Amino acid sequence: MRKPVAGTPAWVMPSAVVGGLALLIGIFLVIRWYTTPVAPPALAPNTTGQVVATVTGLPPSELETVGKGTANNLIKPVSGTALVGATGKPEVFFYGGEFCPYCAAERWPLIIALSRFGTFSGLETTSSSSSDVYPNTPTLTFRNATFTSQYIDFRSIEGTDRDHNPLQPPTAAEQQLIDRYDTGGTIPFIDFGNRYVLSGATYAPDVIGGMSWQSVADSLKQPDSTQARAILGSANLVTAAICKMTGDHPASVCSSAAIQDLEKNLK
Amino acid sequence: MPRLQAVAILVSAAGIAVSIYLTMLHYGGVVPACPTSGTINCEAVLSSRYALIAGTSIPTSAAGIVWFAISAGLWTRAPGWVQVAWALVGLATVVYLLFVEIVLLGAICLWCTAVHALVVILVVIALASRGRSQDA
Repeated sequence: MRKPVAGTPAWVMPSAVVGGLALLIGIFLVIRWYTTPVAPPALAPNTTGQVVATVTGLPPSELETVGKGTANNLIKPVSGTALVGATGKPEVFFYGGEFCPYCAAERWPLIIALSRFGTFSGLETTSSSSSDVYPNTPTLTFRNATFTSQYIDFRSIEGTDRDHNPLQPPTAAEQQLIDRYDTGGTIPFIDFGNRYVLSGATYAPDVIGGMSWQSVADSLKQPDSTQARAILGSANLVTAAICKMTGDHPASVCSSAAIQDLEKNLK
Repeated sequence: MPRLQAVAILVSAAGIAVSIYLTMLHYGGVVPACPTSGTINCEAVLSSRYALIAGTSIPTSAAGIVWFAISAGLWTRAPGWVQVAWALVGLATVVYLLFVEIVLLGAICLWCTAVHALVVILVVIALASRGRSQDA
């Protein structure tokens, strides 16, 4: 005589679903671990110098060729008392953090743009946090940088290091500025003399994800590269905003067709 | 009404509440009550392009409101395959969103995880109810 076959117990299917989901999460974590770019190895000082020299010395014709490229124009007009720097010139104010991948992305075009108006020293290589979105995005930090220009002042605050440790707190006046114009608390936050502000990055950090500083710099020499179209396009947007601050000085930078065209879009 | 059915309706109601909260955050431009740095980062997830239904400006959390509302409605009826099928639709969406969070963004949104957990609970209830009715 055959024994009756018992039905599947009620707990089997729910358990299988929960177990399957846990397995999938495990697989996703492995894929993430396998595809996450590692932090680029530290550069020798002379190599850092080469990277800085490349990005601060790009030929104007190359920037002209790219125009706006693929950058998103996030620059917004604001009103308020003109922001003036320590030497009495219109000030560009940067607020970010070394951990932040969007700040890492936006520093490249900001440095390229500012270098058209003056000279940087003390720029150092670093990368964004390894435990945040777009981990280990390569960048240059303003932590120990100085900038001199006959047209503008530049003030930068790196609020935290790449491990989220406090680094450079803003002054009370700078905090007021941030509270007033960066209401969403987004970084990077860039104030162009209280005439324009930019919150966030004008291109996605994964454009340079997994690249070394040197390869980012090299990619900028090719105007049709994905990196050049994003970073140089963004640099031109930033340049146009600065030209608005300086009354189109110097003419050698601000009178170019690409910059004039972008200025019209800034209102 | 059987206890599991009542629990499913309560879970669906909780899902509607959390989804409404996330939708309000989106339209209000408000930062969620959640860490915003490191792997647990609601802002990174909710401000990503994956937080919108593809090709629209509608947040995925709005779809969550609809899904949980239909789920609540379905659970007013006797348990059957329709609840199981609807729960599996939700589970497939959860798997996709987990892939986005873990693999593509490398960030986890706690509020989204709460919603995912509620969907999984509904799947478990649906399958357990179905199993019981087969046993009976």
